[in-house]
Amino acid sequence: MQPKLAAKTLCGDHEVGKISKVIVDPLSHEISHVVVKESGSPGVDRQIPIGQIQQVVSEEEIILRCSPEEFGQFPAIDRDQYVTIHDVEIAHLEDHLHVEPGEVLVPLPCLEQGVPRRTFFNNMTHAIGTLIALPLAYPVLKYLMKPMFKPFDNAWFSVGNIKKIKKENIGFQFKFTRGFKEAFMPEQQIEKNIWIVNATPEVQKAVYGGKDAKFFDNKGELLHVNKANSPYIGFSGKCPHLGCGYKWRKTKSNPEGVFLCPCHLSLYDEAGKVIDGPAPRGLDVLPMQVDAAGEVKIIDIEYKAGVKNQIRLL
Amino acid sequence: MQQDPQPVNQPNPFEKVIEFVDERVGLKTIQAKMLNEPIPGGSRWAYAFGSVLLFIFILQVVTGILLMFYYVPSTDHAYDSTQYIIHEVDYGWFLLSYHFWGSSAMVVMVFAHMSQVFLWGAYKKPRELIWLVGLALFGIVMGFGFTGYLLPWDQRAYWATVVGVEIMDKTPIVGDFMARFLKGGPTPGQMTLSRFFVIHVMVLPAALAGLAGLHIFLFRKAGPAGPFRGTPDEIKAKTDYFFPRQIWKDIVAMASVFLIICSLAFIEPVVLLEQATPDPGDYHPEPEWYFLFLFQLLRLKMFGGEFGQFLGAIAIPGAFMAFLAALPFIDTNPERNLFKRPIALVGWTVIMVFILIFTVSAIINRDFLH
Repeated sequence: MQPKLAAKTLCGDHEVGKISKVIVDPLSHEISHVVVKESGSPGVDRQIPIGQIQQVVSEEEIILRCSPEEFGQFPAIDRDQYVTIHDVEIAHLEDHLHVEPGEVLVPLPCLEQGVPRRTFFNNMTHAIGTLIALPLAYPVLKYLMKPMFKPFDNAWFSVGNIKKIKKENIGFQFKFTRGFKEAFMPEQQIEKNIWIVNATPEVQKAVYGGKDAKFFDNKGELLHVNKANSPYIGFSGKCPHLGCGYKWRKTKSNPEGVFLCPCHLSLYDEAGKVIDGPAPRGLDVLPMQVDAAGEVKIIDIEYKAGVKNQIRLL
Repeated sequence: MQQDPQPVNQPNPFEKVIEFVDERVGLKTIQAKMLNEPIPGGSRWAYAFGSVLLFIFILQVVTGILLMFYYVPSTDHAYDSTQYIIHEVDYGWFLLSYHFWGSSAMVVMVFAHMSQVFLWGAYKKPRELIWLVGLALFGIVMGFGFTGYLLPWDQRAYWATVVGVEIMDKTPIVGDFMARFLKGGPTPGQMTLSRFFVIHVMVLPAALAGLAGLHIFLFRKAGPAGPFRGTPDEIKAKTDYFFPRQIWKDIVAMASVFLIICSLAFIEPVVLLEQATPDPGDYHPEPEWYFLFLFQLLRLKMFGGEFGQFLGAIAIPGAFMAFLAALPFIDTNPERNLFKRPIALVGWTVIMVFILIFTVSAIINRDFLH
């Protein structure tokens, strides 16, 4: 039978106090001491070895071997030397105890009694962890960022013959295939499209505003000039709203047709200007050459969608 | 009748094995702790959503792993290997379609689960952290949908990603970096597929499993909130354990959801469009149905232009999520009764109606365009 917490403690017939705590050996899981709170005030918590218990009369009452005077000689418990079983992980400890919920103590190992050292090791652990992580951060970031920024591709691609366009001021789609080399992958052929308008002088003016359009590479060197009076205007197939592919569609209010993006319903006229919808800027004009035989070449520039100004991506 | 020669309490070999494991693992305690959780006010069908989500996730993991036996995440093989799964591998079409519809079911259940917690006022003190972790899980589920959508590498996949990443690009300061980081370059390609693949099959599952564990741990720590009406005595009288009544409701809900997903996989199996290419051809790009309302929102003129787009695509959804995160700290009134929280009830209804209207109008517009 194990004594309960708050069990009455007697020396002979004389009641000296009540059990307030139980101390357990962390290895054997046996109770090594009971802590008896002295009756009266201030009521010192005295630590009594388990061997001093003469008899456990009932769960409510124990009798000690010592006299009331000797009881007063037992040391008061140094609470800082113990932790409760909630603060340590001792497997199956509770299986051996049949005490009422309360404070059950195990002695703190001798080596663990210096508190500042614990704080120091705690901080050291974090510091060393940080020292391991820090030198990794930059290489990992660079590793992941490797393909993010690429030099612009300023190659010219043939897209078809201009003679296919029979009518002025309408959008005409040219599909073309271009090689695309990425990292370790073999070069792949990807399909793209651009739109070309055979523009009347008014539309030319709407597009270029009477000025030649100049295209530069990322070093600021001139790549190409689209003449302000050139009749053929090439638009990138990427919608400047959010990057979908737009189409040339006839609508009720525009029987001749408009550029319509099916994604978010942006509308552009034949000069690429926004008529309606959420697009922040007009269609992007591409650098374009038309040779004497009518063969069209373009630089496949892509700009960032969704912003007012052209920011080149590719 | 033959007398049993052994004493009645002699354990059989199976019980001995159980005993052996239990002694070392503490299985019976774990089982008891898991099953004997008191549910204030008793079990309810409304509490099944969380369990159903866990169930869907586990089957997504299983079907996802099975798909990886054949799928190759490269731009020259992703489409073909997916077509191979659909057309050549025995039951490949079913596993892929199950995975596809399972993801939709997950989003539906997340909405249901969040709504239930919101309407029951179960996000309030002391359950703020459960709600916050839940919001992170919501983000992860959306991330799963977004990254998984690209993997078949067909036109639908490609264009949803093009637009989705362009939208992310509109985040102030970090947007350009984020978009390039996700794309692994200026435009979508192999690097994008590699990145989406590793995020979809490694990063997000690990994050979801960890956070779901934390979510359940915190839930157990705080205990179930129980009903929002009733006196303590009434609630106490109706209280039962998680097992058996709630588990019964959960398992029935799981089986129903499983049957629905299977039916959808049979009725509407996944069919791929053309292989992905930067020329959309006749395809009209469109996101997955649960993003349709946002897609439709961005068609509005008021969310056009550079600023409008930032407002519609980033600021408003971002502010809404921030509001949801702050909700348990703003709404500190302990009242949980829905009918005494008119703002909550009206707010929830307005948002649901808004999502419904915008989703439906996106679908109507779809017909109009064709």
